[in-house]
Amino acid sequence: MIKKISKVLVANRGEIALRVMRSCRELGILSVAVYSDVDRTSMHVRYADQAFHIGPAASAESYLNMDKIIEVAKRSKADAIHPGYGFLSENAEFSKRCHQEGIIFIGPTPEVISTMGDKITARQTMIAGGVPVVPGTKENLEDETTILKVVKEVGLPVMIKASAGGGGKGMRMVDKEKDILSSLRAAKSEAMSSFGDDSVYVEKYISSPHHIEFQILGDQHGNVIHLCERECSVQRRHQKVVEETPSPLMTPELREKMGQSAVEAAKAVNYHGAGTIEFLVDNDHNYYFLEMNTRLQVEHPITERVTGYDLVKAQIQIAEGQALEIKQEDVFQFGHAIECRIYAEDTENNFMPSPGLITHITEPMGLGVRTDGYVYEGYEIPIHYDPMISKLIVWARTRSEAIERMRRALYEYKITGVKTSIQFLERIMDCPDFRNGTYDTHFIQDNEEFLLAPDEAKESFEDLAIVTAFLDYHHKLKNAQVNPKSAAHNKWKEFGRRRGMFRASEN
Amino acid sequence: MAIEIKLGDRLAKVELLAEDGTQVKIMVDNKEYDLDMQQVENGVYSVMYKGRSFNVELIDTDSPKKYSVNTFYHSYDAEIIDAETKYLQARKGGEMDDEQSTISSPMPGKVVKIQVGLGEEVKKGDTVIIISAMKMESEYKAGKDGTISEIFVNEEDTVDGNQPLVFIDDLD
Repeated sequence: MIKKISKVLVANRGEIALRVMRSCRELGILSVAVYSDVDRTSMHVRYADQAFHIGPAASAESYLNMDKIIEVAKRSKADAIHPGYGFLSENAEFSKRCHQEGIIFIGPTPEVISTMGDKITARQTMIAGGVPVVPGTKENLEDETTILKVVKEVGLPVMIKASAGGGGKGMRMVDKEKDILSSLRAAKSEAMSSFGDDSVYVEKYISSPHHIEFQILGDQHGNVIHLCERECSVQRRHQKVVEETPSPLMTPELREKMGQSAVEAAKAVNYHGAGTIEFLVDNDHNYYFLEMNTRLQVEHPITERVTGYDLVKAQIQIAEGQALEIKQEDVFQFGHAIECRIYAEDTENNFMPSPGLITHITEPMGLGVRTDGYVYEGYEIPIHYDPMISKLIVWARTRSEAIERMRRALYEYKITGVKTSIQFLERIMDCPDFRNGTYDTHFIQDNEEFLLAPDEAKESFEDLAIVTAFLDYHHKLKNAQVNPKSAAHNKWKEFGRRRGMFRASEN
Repeated sequence: MAIEIKLGDRLAKVELLAEDGTQVKIMVDNKEYDLDMQQVENGVYSVMYKGRSFNVELIDTDSPKKYSVNTFYHSYDAEIIDAETKYLQARKGGEMDDEQSTISSPMPGKVVKIQVGLGEEVKKGDTVIIISAMKMESEYKAGKDGTISEIFVNEEDTVDGNQPLVFIDDLD
């Protein structure tokens, strides 16, 4: 049964809120923004058709406040909620509450979110569905003796990971037998303090892994397709920095095989909506299921660019109950796309966050360039949320052309007032390992010297800044002084003035 | 004319050697520059250097001797250190606290936890205060051994960049 959506509440902020609203506008669907105290002047509030205040800056009291968001959805008569990414996007309870309240949740069912949100259950489901997983344990390990036994079976090195983990927290790599127990205890304690749950499991550590994920779309009629891969191996502290598609590691045969596994993985949980199956791939093209993200991903635009499909539009149509408008054989990749995440952070100072006032912004333009952002000149980036301020996406016919285009676009991208990662990203584009496409998830660590080397041109720019300030001050001083020549009595000037006065009195 | 300009931590000596229309010959520390500089709009200079074109933007601050300078690659705070500034600095100098005594926030953020109490003794390297910004928590540590004599903020407070947070007195 198809239930047309006419108004969508976007339960998010920043660039993703704008991104979702753009597709709504193209579909003739009205959008409702929600905002916290500090987001009154944020761009998503201005772009939306309606906007409602939902509470204080702290996200726990605003963007994560389910009661408030549902209340606003009802008050604004929104028939659906899009959660974006982050915040409530993978919250099974929220998806459930929406269903109970008769509001369409643009995303998967609560059961699917729960299944895939728990890493151990996700792993078991994938094994049952015939999808390759990283060798290791299948369940939470209680006692230390069992863990030692499992580690010996799997073989060092191993990763000890928190079941409820994410963002690298509660994760330990062990490569020596003597470190197993101490690492285990540390991982458990970190998992407890970060997630309130000390369950851990053990996985084989894959050396030189590539992080490659497949975008999938599933409808409510059992159709599932994949929209090819994204290479996300450029990571820092387990956070993606640069993504590209197609992956330089990929072959048509491997794409076919992994794509099939991704579709099977989604079918194993009866998935509907847009989702991502993440894999680790080694240099011999062995691949293993890592996790599933049951939401739209930050890096979705590169897939949109090479396949030509609007993923937010697809999400909305699926939520309405429509069947997928394309089949697997309609999907092909055209050209090459790269995305760089622009963060408000001081890369020269241990990537310290850099919130504050944007005093100037020039966004890049031109052929094959897309920017998904939300900041503007005079906007104050708040201290309360994620440091990502925009995404720069480029497209070109070939990978090397796309890299050159990204360099050009990063060169054009000027943001002042806050520190940004733009120059760091320029270095990545210049790095030989990135350029020749032979990088894995250790890329940033392995190339730290190159990526964080002091900027040789910086001194010249410092000098130019000094010279300009000097000259400006020098000219101000000069203009403020009384020029003795002009102050001296000039009889011709005096004569002219008198004649003027004489004429005036004659008239 | 030669003056000093402070740019961040750097104190540079600048001397104007010649100026003819837009052509400027100038020395910054020991490096000589031949530049073609033109103010193209209020506060915005177009600078030609070795055949390359750069834009430099000057933003006025509340003081006529302080600028915020954008080269569109970097942003700097510049201060003209002339005779008057030097005199004022010398007068204040005696009262200035050494940097290690004051723990300041290098960025805007929110005070998550103050780990110390007034009168408490701390050792160099002890975590004194935790500030959160953009979902990342940073620990600020004591720069020297001493006693906490002032705490200028409370937990949950929002702080600006360079705002003093805690003052450490020498041990008696």
